[in-house]
Amino acid sequence: MLGPAIAWYLVVGGAIFAIGAAGVMLRRNPLIMLLSLELMLNGANLVLIAFARRHGSLDGQVFALAVMAVAAAEVVVGLGLVVAMARRKIELDVDLLSRLRK
Amino acid sequence: MIAAAAWVCLLSPLAAVLAIALGGNRLPRRTAGYLATGSTAVSFVAAVAALIATLGHTASHRQTVSTAFGLIETNAFKINLNLLVDPLSLVMMLVVSGVGSLIIAYSIGYMKGEDEERRYFAYIAFFVFSMLLLVESANFFLLLVGWGLVGLSSYLLIGFWQERPSAIAAAKKAFIINAVGDSAMALALFLLIQHTHTLDFGGVFNQAAALGANTWLINLVAAGLLVGALAKSAQIPLHTWLPDAMEGPTPVSALIHAATMVTAGVYLIVRTHPLFEQAPHVQQTAAGLGAATLLAAGAIALVQTDIKRVIAYSTMSQIGYMFLAAGIGAYSAAMFHLVTHAFFKALLFLAAGVIIHALGGEQDMRKMGGLRKRMPRTYIAMLIGTGALVGIPPLAGFFSKDAILATAVSGGAYGKVLFAAGIAGVLLTALYSFRLIFLVFSGEESELVRKSMAKHRGGEGPRWMMVPVATLALLAVVGGWIQIAGLWHPFSSFLDAVAPAFGAEPSAAREWLLSAVSLGVVLGGLWIAWAIYSAHSQKAPRTPAVLVEKLYFDRAYDLAFYRPAVWLAQRLGSWFERPVIERSGDEIGLGALIGGRFSAAIQNGLARSYVLLVAAGVSVIVLLFLVLR
Repeated sequence: MLGPAIAWYLVVGGAIFAIGAAGVMLRRNPLIMLLSLELMLNGANLVLIAFARRHGSLDGQVFALAVMAVAAAEVVVGLGLVVAMARRKIELDVDLLSRLRK
Repeated sequence: MIAAAAWVCLLSPLAAVLAIALGGNRLPRRTAGYLATGSTAVSFVAAVAALIATLGHTASHRQTVSTAFGLIETNAFKINLNLLVDPLSLVMMLVVSGVGSLIIAYSIGYMKGEDEERRYFAYIAFFVFSMLLLVESANFFLLLVGWGLVGLSSYLLIGFWQERPSAIAAAKKAFIINAVGDSAMALALFLLIQHTHTLDFGGVFNQAAALGANTWLINLVAAGLLVGALAKSAQIPLHTWLPDAMEGPTPVSALIHAATMVTAGVYLIVRTHPLFEQAPHVQQTAAGLGAATLLAAGAIALVQTDIKRVIAYSTMSQIGYMFLAAGIGAYSAAMFHLVTHAFFKALLFLAAGVIIHALGGEQDMRKMGGLRKRMPRTYIAMLIGTGALVGIPPLAGFFSKDAILATAVSGGAYGKVLFAAGIAGVLLTALYSFRLIFLVFSGEESELVRKSMAKHRGGEGPRWMMVPVATLALLAVVGGWIQIAGLWHPFSSFLDAVAPAFGAEPSAAREWLLSAVSLGVVLGGLWIAWAIYSAHSQKAPRTPAVLVEKLYFDRAYDLAFYRPAVWLAQRLGSWFERPVIERSGDEIGLGALIGGRFSAAIQNGLARSYVLLVAAGVSVIVLLFLVLR
């Protein structure tokens, strides 16, 4: 086994995920929420890859690649929405964007 | 070859049903009738082909089972879609398709001008299919399916004239009483599945002796089958639906409620005779109920005024003879009487139909009279049918009924009692049959007859009706000649491979002696009927109330089942339904409103709070995993 024990990876991955989750829950700016979401995904990716190395199989790495592809697609849509909102001079605050409820 | 013929025989009427049903209004009315008749004739040809092919084999190899595919397959238990062609099913196939095609051809004339001719022909072809399925099936499951389907088509056809409330009531009555029989039979089949793990006739009958070791079990199975047979064949105590079933069109009465469906009970007992022979008490009960029915129905027929109801009670009475025969193990005698009865009873119904048709739907015999000169051909047909029914040689009933009586008298004390009932039944048969003849045909022409005949200008009926009547009259004459005691017996030796008779075989001399006795009884009955009824209307005898009330069976069932059910329903309505179910509606609605208000509070529209809830849920699940592991 090369490198540090797997626990370190898990701790780092978990920490990144938790930071991202806190960001999604606490911030109101959709741009920041998207960034935090990326953090959560990457935390999960790190754990996947760490386990893939640990077990010596490629499954986790393949899965991480798939997550990246999905994340890229999601960012395209999300950023597109944010840009569209900014162009129309809509305030970037998700708490105000609750018209669908009414 | 045999298998192919059996499938053609079964499926041809079904094809006609589909064609008529899918054709709808695009199909001319006549074409529906031709389709139904033609398909049944095809069935008959196929049945004859199967018969010829089967006769080519030696007696012990005359059994063909044809399997299409498995219907239900489990590890321990399997039901196939398979047909059985053996002497017994061949006899039934020939009767059903042969008499069936004649009667359906007759209905082309009889139903002409009805609004819904196509529906009628679709139903009746469906009946022929169901009946063929019943008699051709090689296992109890398909038998029960056919059993239910003939009940359904009988229900549909009794209630064919939907605008008549009495027809609807009669249809429901027939269906409900038959449902009692069907469910008893289904229970018997469940017992068979539990104990033999098969429903194939061959498989079950091979284990009949093993089943017989358990007296309770075999008695329950046989009793279940017997109740099914009693309901379908209108035997006491499940007979009350048959007279009411005369509300249907006359050809229906001839085909379903005289020639074929109501004899299915006899077929069932003969088919499952290995089980009944293991349960002798149940089998004797069948014979006793048959004897009771033939007496009761014969007596009630004496006071009926509706021409079709007289013939209906006569049918019950004759099926009583068949049950008597099947109950004492004279299977080929029972089947022989079934065949000849199909001929002469269909003839009687169709001839009665000609009269009803000519008189514009009138069925009350008291309004008829003097028809002999107006309808000479119908008169001759009716005379042949009546002669065959009461057993005047050389007509069909003479040979078949006397075979039953001779077997009964050879069978111990119980047999003697049954024989006495049978002879008394012969007297009753002669009485009510000739009463009908005298009331309808002799005497002065009644007003109704004069009026309707003036309209018809003498003609008796369209050719479509008269040709089947003539054919059946011919069959009622020669039908009995396939078996003559002491001289030749191809019919019983044909059937012996399937259902060998047990018990004493009557000697030919005794059979001839008995024939002479019963012929004497018939002539006596004829003389009495002549003395009482030929005078017509001048001194009609008093009719005992007990017979007019049909021995109080309907009243008793009304009191025992209908009234308590209505009472219970009303009580449940006032004690439970209105206070509990109806009033709970508001409260259930209110509860839903309050619940909705609470759950709506969660949907506050803040994306972040949704995320918080998701995160909290995931955390709880993760914690649960960690704790409970």
